[in-house]
Formats: sequence, C-alpha cells, structure tokens
Amino acid sequence: MITAGLLMAVTFAAALLAVTLRNVLHAIFGLAVALLGIAGIFITLGSPFVAAMEVLVYVGGISVAMVFAVMLSTVVARQDEGGRRRVWAGLAALGFFAAMALVITRADFGPDSDPSEQAWAVAEIGGDLLTHYNVVFEALSLVLLIAIVGAVAISRREAAASGSARLEPGAIDPDGTGKSDVESEQRGQDA
Amino acid sequence: MSNLPTAPETLADYVSGNLWLFFAIATAAIMGYLTLNALFLIWLERKISAHIQRRLGPMEVGWHGVLQTVADMLKLLSKQLVTPRAIDKPLYHLAPVVVFAPVIASVAMFPFAEDLVILDIELSLAYVFVFGGIGIIGIFMAGWGSNNKYALLGAMRSVAQNISYEIPLILSALSVVLLVSGLEPVIINDNDQLRPASGISLIDIAIVQDAKGWWFVLVQPVAALIYFIAAVAETNRAPFDIPEAESELVAGFHTEYSGMRFAMFFFAEYTNMIIVSMVATVLFFGGWSGPLLPGPVWFFGKTYLLIGGMMWFRWTFPRLRFDQLMSFCWTVLIPLSIVNLLVTALVLELL
Repeated sequence: MITAGLLMAVTFAAALLAVTLRNVLHAIFGLAVALLGIAGIFITLGSPFVAAMEVLVYVGGISVAMVFAVMLSTVVARQDEGGRRRVWAGLAALGFFAAMALVITRADFGPDSDPSEQAWAVAEIGGDLLTHYNVVFEALSLVLLIAIVGAVAISRREAAASGSARLEPGAIDPDGTGKSDVESEQRGQDA
Repeated sequence: MSNLPTAPETLADYVSGNLWLFFAIATAAIMGYLTLNALFLIWLERKISAHIQRRLGPMEVGWHGVLQTVADMLKLLSKQLVTPRAIDKPLYHLAPVVVFAPVIASVAMFPFAEDLVILDIELSLAYVFVFGGIGIIGIFMAGWGSNNKYALLGAMRSVAQNISYEIPLILSALSVVLLVSGLEPVIINDNDQLRPASGISLIDIAIVQDAKGWWFVLVQPVAALIYFIAAVAETNRAPFDIPEAESELVAGFHTEYSGMRFAMFFFAEYTNMIIVSMVATVLFFGGWSGPLLPGPVWFFGKTYLLIGGMMWFRWTFPRLRFDQLMSFCWTVLIPLSIVNLLVTALVLELL
C-alpha cells in the first residue's frame, strides 16, 4: 500500500514536471519517469507483464522516438503560449480527465478484473488479444500504420518545399555548418 | 515426480522475505562481480587485440600485465572530474546512473546453475530487454547534457542503432520462446507445484534444454547468428562502433565525461557485453547444462567464450559506415528474423 502510494506520488510529480518544464527535452524525460512510475503501479497491481510492456514500448520506444524528433528539430525551448491558450489547454485536459474517469468508473470489467495471476498471465493476454479482442487489436495497428504513412507524407512534402536534402542523423557534416552547430548554440543560450 | 526438473531456490528464498537483506546481498554480490568482470574483460580485450595485431599488449604490471586494469582504475579514481560549464546539469549528472543502474538489475535474473540464481521472476527474458531499453535513455541524456556536437551526434547514432537492432534481437529471441512453448512441454516441479515451462523465463529456457539434452542452437542456428550480430550492435562495439567512432566523433556520447564518470560508461559497456552473452548462453547454448563439470563452470565458460568471439569480431572487421549499418539491419536482419520466426511457428504447428 505504501509502495503504491509512493509510486503514485512519483508518477504525479513527474507528470507535473512533464507539462510545466520549459525545456522540451526535460519535459520528455519527466514523461519517461512518469511512465516508469505507471509501470511500477502495474507491478503493485499484480501484472508484471503489462509493466514490462509499458516500459519496453513507452519508455524504451515512444519517449526515445520523441527525444529523437526533438533533437532533429531546432526548437528546444518552448515559447510562452499566452494566457488564453493555457486556459483552453487546461480545459481540454480537465475535459479529457472527466471523460476518462466517467468511462472507467462506469465500465463493467467483468469477473476477470480480479488481479489474480491467472487473469494476467501472458498466455491469457495473448490468447485474448488474438481471439476476443481481435478486431480492436487490428484496428489499433491500422491506426499506427496510418500515423506512419501520414508522418512520411508530411516530411516528404516539407523536404520537397525546402528543396534541400536534410542532414541525416548520423551524417558527417564536412564544412561544419550543419544544423548541429545551430542546435548547440541554441542550447547554450537555453542552459 | 522426483525425476521432474525442479525450479531453483533463489536468494530471495534463502533470506526468507527479508527484503533489505536481499537487496544488500544481491547488490553487493553483483557489483563485486561486475567490477572484477570489467577489470578482467578490459585486460582480456587489450591482450586479444594485441595478439591479433602481433603485439604483446600490457606486460608491465603483474603477470603478463594482468594487474594493468587495476592500476588504470586507481588512476581513474584519483583523476579530477572536469565538468564543462555549458552543460545541461541535471541530464549530464544523471546520465551515468541511468546507463549503469538497469544493468545491475539485469544480471540478477540469470540462472548461473540449476540452484544458483538471485532473482527468479516469471518474465525474466522480457525484463532483460526492458532494462536494456532504459539504458538507451541514459545515452541520450549523456549526449544531450554534454552540450557538445560530437556527443550529440554520437548519442543520436547510438540510439538509432540501438532501437533498430533491438528488433532483430527480440525477434530472434522470440523464436526460442516459441520453441519452448511449442515443443512437447516440459513440466517443472516448482515448490511441489507442477507447471509447464514458460518461454519467457530465462530459468525455464535453460531447464528445458537441460531436460531435453540438446541445445537450441542446433535447431535455431539462424536465430543464433542473428542474435549474435544484433547483440554486437547493441553493445556499440566494432564493427558497429559508429556511436563512438574515434576518428570522426572523438569519443561519441561520453566525450565530455572524465575520471570515474567516464569509467561508469566504460563499465556499462563491458557489463552489457556480459549480459548479451549470458542471454545468448541461456537462449541458444543451454545455460548451465553440460556433462561432468558443475553448472557455473559451464555457464561462465560459454559466456566468456562468446565474449571472446565478440572481441575477435571487433579486432578483425573494419568499422561499417552509418548508412550501411542501418540498411543492413532493416533490409537483411529484420526480414530474415521475421521469416525465421514464421518458419519456426509453421514447423512447430506441422510437427
């Protein structure tokens, strides 16, 4: 019980950091800590498998991809959004929270919601995903596919618009005028 | 009932639920082992590289230079820690810890013998990969926090390489997981409760090979080869050491780290080598199983033999270019590992 409370506190604090910090990279690392905390909560709820997947996918995959995207762009310090946008963002977050809370409290999770080992066993989860929840599972993968295609399409259009080849992440920049210089200058000011 | 393979007693069982005692013993044992291991491996690497290049390598300190790395470590301990002024302080200081801590946790889950394992959790194979993923974030923090373009480029290369090669690594491990649950199930006696062997537990994978009497490398040679190549890439070693290619990037993501902070990254690299080799030992070479000699001898013998292979690899092949490295992963390794996984599933289904 104490462990769970501690984990929730850590998760909440890290989530707060993730939305309040100015430096986008710090915010992402805050998010990573929050996700680790959530994985810990899953363990206290008796599901090490979901915890493992949480860390593998969200900390090891999504956060890393986000950091990567930020490093390839040049904007690192967030601009001040201004009061009105903050109000709208806060309202949207509250609305989302209310909707999620409503769905979760109203949902009927059935007899299997008991966090016993059997219900959370890996074989059980795998079987359910490929039989009972097959349609949802496939629909989710379709969403991901669309997101990837969309990202490629947008980046292609931008590359065509700027008319120049972009610097590859690991490419050698022979004359030293590449974006990495610009980036480090900006970060120097930021720090 | 008596001749069924039994699940091992763990350190957690011996200290009977005293968590603090457990953590203290486990951490001390693992840290001690990892320190000795890094000292030995660095010496071994220098000797192997020297002999491959027809040199002698370190010869002065101790028998054939065996104490050279101890002297080096004392030097590193006493060195001044130079901290650049324009760093991103929290990230720079946290990075060595984030890189090193998950590595300790991984070592705790390996079965060194049938009755020698620190922590027995059901999903140990999954957790080894999970902890590997956390280390990647540490590399990012180091590269970004240093505020140095070489460090940043090194970190970006390292992460691109790590997240790409993680896919064939996990897919080739999955073929073994399939094998464990798809073959005629081995029943394990776990505290007098019978259960079928689980494919995502390192201990169970080793038990299954021990019980069947043959190693999985015999039926999964392709997966073993893919795993080995991806593992060398995961540890950022030559010919895949593009993240710290010294001729272009100084020292990559740890350029700005000096003294013991640098040593932490160095330790983590050699510990990662031992972790991927231990996983390979368990997945493909039967873990502790082998005739005559006791389990730990076989386990560590196989592990260090694989590490010797990785060192041989490093000093024989030239470094790849970054685009060659990425296209090799995405156009050769990943399709090959997917095909291997599908064929494994198909054969198991038809058997």
